[in-house]
Amino acid sequence: MDRAELDVTAELALLNLNETEQADLETAVGQLLEYFSAMDLVDVSGLEPTTHALSEGNRLRPDTPRTATGIEDEILEQAPDLEDRFIAIPNVL
Amino acid sequence: MAHTILSQWKSTLASSEYATTLTQRDQSLNSFLEIDPGRRASDAEGPLAGIPIGVKDNIAVRGFQLSCGSKILAGHVAPYDATIVSRLISAGAVPVGKTNLDEFGMGSSTEMSASGPTNNPWDLSRVAGGSSGGSAAAVAAGLVPLAIGTDTGGSVRQPAAFCGVYGLKPTYGTLSRYGLVAYASSLEVAGLITTDIDLLETAFWLGTGQDVMDQTSTEHPKSGSGEVSTVGILSGDLELDPPTEAAYKNFIETVKASGISVKEVELSTLDYSVPAYYTIATAEASANLARFNGVRYGQRPIFAENPDELMRQARAEGFGSEVKLRILLGTYVLRSGFQEQYYQRAQKIRTAIRNELAELFASVDLLVLPVFPTVAFTHGENGLSSFQQKLADRFTTLANLAALPALSIPAGVHEGLPVGIQAMAPAFAEDRLFSLARSMAESIPVERPPHFAASIADEISSAGNVAQGDSGTAGAES
Repeated sequence: MDRAELDVTAELALLNLNETEQADLETAVGQLLEYFSAMDLVDVSGLEPTTHALSEGNRLRPDTPRTATGIEDEILEQAPDLEDRFIAIPNVL
Repeated sequence: MAHTILSQWKSTLASSEYATTLTQRDQSLNSFLEIDPGRRASDAEGPLAGIPIGVKDNIAVRGFQLSCGSKILAGHVAPYDATIVSRLISAGAVPVGKTNLDEFGMGSSTEMSASGPTNNPWDLSRVAGGSSGGSAAAVAAGLVPLAIGTDTGGSVRQPAAFCGVYGLKPTYGTLSRYGLVAYASSLEVAGLITTDIDLLETAFWLGTGQDVMDQTSTEHPKSGSGEVSTVGILSGDLELDPPTEAAYKNFIETVKASGISVKEVELSTLDYSVPAYYTIATAEASANLARFNGVRYGQRPIFAENPDELMRQARAEGFGSEVKLRILLGTYVLRSGFQEQYYQRAQKIRTAIRNELAELFASVDLLVLPVFPTVAFTHGENGLSSFQQKLADRFTTLANLAALPALSIPAGVHEGLPVGIQAMAPAFAEDRLFSLARSMAESIPVERPPHFAASIADEISSAGNVAQGDSGTAGAES
């Protein structure tokens, strides 16, 4: 993978990389992609992709109302910053 | 289950010395990230009453931290219990702390933890394996009799093998994933680690049962007889290091001596397990880890130019190098234009692997294969590189790709280090794994690391009310 491709991918992944990381990851990602190319040797014609671990079809629960679990406050407390019951982020320009 | 183990641990957990001894013993290991036996103490009755358990720090235990071994979740506290945790608690087990792991479960050494590596109780200069290295080391060193881990590509079985304990990766869907921090949802399962096969079986059945909170969970049919009459082994050179090779051969001879017939089989898809696994795992990881952006929870910078930049910086500062590598790789293989070449091809190879294993299980009850090609490697640069570690996942990733149950069974100590050998079964045939493990334990008993020859329960119960005896515990090493 060249640097331009790495930059596009990092952008899509919302990752800021410094120069050392760019160099290291360019090598490491490239090494793995090259290794992945071994998959090209497999004849996959006629094979359906496996998208779920154990496919039993879709399973739905009864559509009945339930009360909330009562841990909303504990969940909100995990936010770095709260204003009342709203999650706040730092002031932005 | 050996009743003495239960009663010993019950009185140990009740002892005021337990928390101190646990903390002291763990100093040379770093297997726990948080310890507090009193926090979730309970008098619940049940088959596991009074059994202390360690829980990998990517599994939610209410009131305990949930760091996933990552800086981005430093200080995060779980507001609820994972289903596997609450089921074991209902049976009387008591979570006493959170165990160390490679960040988000990504690694094979527990060296990728933001909280530092875990050391192997057999040799502190070596890794405990990973990613559930803390859970395996804690059990091997006798800190807890049972620990929960997660296994996405071998993360329960490989550290169990490195530490000389049992490590079960059950059939996908049999233990609920509710409360596990998602890494690769179609591959990962909760798993169990212990030195006692009866305790393993008891805990596993207590944990099973469909869970309304996990759409992929399923009822276990519990239909098998557990009978094992034919075992398959892989033909050809498996390229194992000498201690692993010796243990593997001895294991197979022991299987034969127990009256089980052994049949050599071919697995032509073996060479593709690792590339298919890493393609699928990283693709799923890139999606699952998108949620960590420092906005609703977790660590984030105190200032940013705009919300986008806030998220980028939170991720740049919060994630370690291996996590960044896997997110990037996963994002790449899912990119428009590359999907067919990598992700879709890997999913088709996954089908080929499942088909081939299904064919094999038509003629054998179990497949016996190594867990890892080497024994526990040394810390740092003299060990295995990150790339070499990935290549070595060839035997473990099969069970995840095919959703099958597999158990790492202690297979003796060679050159001072334990070796684990893996048995893999068809879906829902965990009983065959337990049956083989029991029969092997008669000839190859589970051994304890010399520096941790007595568990904390042995130590506290033998000392009774007398002063703590010298039973060759952690102090000897550090």
